[in-house]
Amino acid sequence: MNLPDYEFLSAPLWLVTVLHLLTFTLHLVAMNFLLGGVFITLWSSARKRWDGPTAAGFTRIFPAATAATVTLGVAPLLFLQLVFHRQMYSAAIVSGWFWLLVIAAVIVAYYALYRASFEGQRTDRASKAALLLALLGLLYVSLVYSSVFSMAEQPALIRNLYAKDQSGWVWNPAVGDYGLRWLHMVLGAVTVGGFFVGLLGRNDMEVFATGKTFLVGGMVAAALTGMVYLLSLEQHLAALMHTPAIWALTAAVALSLVSLHFFFKKNFWLSGVTLFLSVAGMVFVRHTVRLLRLAGEFDPASWRVAPQWSPFAMFLVCFVVMLIVLAWMLRMFFGAKRNAA
Amino acid sequence: MSYPFWDVPIGYGVLMAVIAVFHVFVSHFAIGGGLYLVVSEQLARKAGDSPRLEFLEKLSRFFVLVTLVAGALTGVGIWFIIGLIAPTATEALIHNYVWGWATEWTFFVVEIAAAMIYFYGWKTMTPRAHMAVGWVYFVFAWLSLFIINGIITFMLTPGQWLATGDFWDGFFNPTFWASLVLRTGVCVMLAGLYALLVASRYQAGEFKERTVRYTAGWGVVGLAVTALCQYWYWKAIPAAVVAKALQTMPTPIHSIEYSVWLAAGIGALLVVFGVLAPRRLSMAAAALLMVLGLAWFGAFEWFRESIRKPYVITGYIYGNGVELAKTASYKKDGYLAQVVYRTGDDGADLFRHACRSCHTLDGYKALKPVFDGTDRAFIAAIIRSAHLLKGNMPPFLGTAAEADKIADYLSQRLDKRPLAEIYKLEGVELGRKAYELRCGKCHVIGAASDKSKSFAGQSADDLNNMLNMAADLGAGMPAYTGAATERGALVSFLAQLGKGAKK
Repeated sequence: MNLPDYEFLSAPLWLVTVLHLLTFTLHLVAMNFLLGGVFITLWSSARKRWDGPTAAGFTRIFPAATAATVTLGVAPLLFLQLVFHRQMYSAAIVSGWFWLLVIAAVIVAYYALYRASFEGQRTDRASKAALLLALLGLLYVSLVYSSVFSMAEQPALIRNLYAKDQSGWVWNPAVGDYGLRWLHMVLGAVTVGGFFVGLLGRNDMEVFATGKTFLVGGMVAAALTGMVYLLSLEQHLAALMHTPAIWALTAAVALSLVSLHFFFKKNFWLSGVTLFLSVAGMVFVRHTVRLLRLAGEFDPASWRVAPQWSPFAMFLVCFVVMLIVLAWMLRMFFGAKRNAA
Repeated sequence: MSYPFWDVPIGYGVLMAVIAVFHVFVSHFAIGGGLYLVVSEQLARKAGDSPRLEFLEKLSRFFVLVTLVAGALTGVGIWFIIGLIAPTATEALIHNYVWGWATEWTFFVVEIAAAMIYFYGWKTMTPRAHMAVGWVYFVFAWLSLFIINGIITFMLTPGQWLATGDFWDGFFNPTFWASLVLRTGVCVMLAGLYALLVASRYQAGEFKERTVRYTAGWGVVGLAVTALCQYWYWKAIPAAVVAKALQTMPTPIHSIEYSVWLAAGIGALLVVFGVLAPRRLSMAAAALLMVLGLAWFGAFEWFRESIRKPYVITGYIYGNGVELAKTASYKKDGYLAQVVYRTGDDGADLFRHACRSCHTLDGYKALKPVFDGTDRAFIAAIIRSAHLLKGNMPPFLGTAAEADKIADYLSQRLDKRPLAEIYKLEGVELGRKAYELRCGKCHVIGAASDKSKSFAGQSADDLNNMLNMAADLGAGMPAYTGAATERGALVSFLAQLGKGAKK
């Protein structure tokens, strides 16, 4: 019997890529809210700034933000695996224990955030300790992700590291390669966190000022680290200049400045949309950098495409149903909250 | 063999079991618990039962903390671990079922959002809206099971998919419906067990009595559905799969036996506390029920995994990641030609890719104890005939030279002293040990492969001659290569076996 061949893409590559980039952007926004939010809350608490209902309210929504980050993180990981599993699994196996500990770190962070959310006033030391623990957990996850996904773009590095050690306790030694990338992501999270602090604290001068400080400061720092990271790409940077990604990068930078403008004017709707588009642009650049670094080793276009249209239609219908049901439930929930208030 | 090998001292089976059994124990509660909450809320509101509503609010907090955090993240953990320990099978599953998983993700998103809204909405939402969200939660959680069930059952019984490669043929496979109803029963049973844990914290009184009675009823109904469906599930597995597994290993039967005893224990406790003494349900008793429930689930998953051996996807990919479709190229070019990530030690690389997915040297399913005191030629012969051994092993599809390399690698790490010295044995007992190591890997005494009767009436010379021509006695039989002392003891033991068989 001729057994079925599983080495195929069940939808055109462009479609899988669009879904991957879209869901990853959504994941990043939720993750940035969470990581940046926890960081800013802790920082403000240490500086004894804006202790009060706004910050307490902010802390209360961290568990929901974690749930959003996790659920929105599942889809991009799925689409990434579909195309890049050879690179991704190989890198993850080399750092197997660190990779697996991501789950434990998220569980600890998640419970810590619930602890802070249920019990804590921001002045409560246990609550601050819980937030700090959560922050450390989230930073660990972000560092492992940067390390593993950076390694996944360098098959030769994986081969060398694996030849020396097969225990799964190998930490990517090319810190220069992913350190800046990680820092850029963390600073980006602080930037977006600043936006959300400003949005939620729009009626409180001090909170809004804190949000503004982190939005502007984070943006400048993220831009600087991003620029240095791009320069460190050397020959890949030259190649990047000849791809549409350079236009996406330009647009993303411009959009982030536009976002800032609207933020100052307290037009959060336009500021949020432009900030989201800016993040989406950065995600596209990141994707292009991955393709450039893998060039010569792997080309996603080499996948045989054998579409499974009926299962795809099932997904599409369920996706639309998901959006409708979510909107309906959120409307009921917030409507009820407004009425209760 | 396209991936590096994660060489951990813990057996892959143990790692997988720890994460997966914990996850299914929580995730099935996540479904059944959702149904319990919304049905009970509806009944309590209809009856104006405020204490019950208060209990349900407490339960929903416990529910959210357990299912949204530990349940959801261990689910992601399963993804992480299968990518590490079975990357080839994961790759095959993702390519075939990406839209199944993507669909499941849409259900997951709604499920998580609904759980949070349900929990945070107790005080603010209208009862009608609150219960509507509760129903949304349950429906989407169950739909999530519907999808995952299709993929899990595909791994055991891919059915027509092996011929057609069609998504739906694999999804609606021979065990799909039996497994779906069985798991739905488990969800209901676990809803009862978890809720009893929360109820056990209440002071003995009228409220506790009626709550424990009502909740134990959920456990009993779920258990009854589960027990009936376990039989249906067993019968839905193709006879050939069952026969092959049972012929060579007792594990599936043992796990079924354990699950029956555990189910009986759960049933007995539910009757004792649900019917006879509901006020006396203590935390310890409720915790015992939880432990039994977890053990039951472990036994069931153990059955599912063991009956599937030697495959990870039946008829498609072996447990060690060797793909049946590539059999010809493995046989022609060997394994090493397919191993992408090499370490410079061919023996170690071959051992990892051919054996290490299931065996460790001296930990889980250790090879040292089964090869200590034997020799390289014997080990190589055993490797070449792996598929004939007890335990339902995958065949070794590499070249003879590669089998020798693995044998070299193993024999360098074994205790090379004579068996008599290693185990401090002599006479018939030494022979028994030699039989266990050299013959018992296939010929299990008392099993179908037992050859004791053929030794009846044979003299020591006859038995010695038989050992001399062992390699010619049947396909896969290794030559006898043991030392003279060991040979003498083995002959004595075989003669004793022959006498026993004669009687």
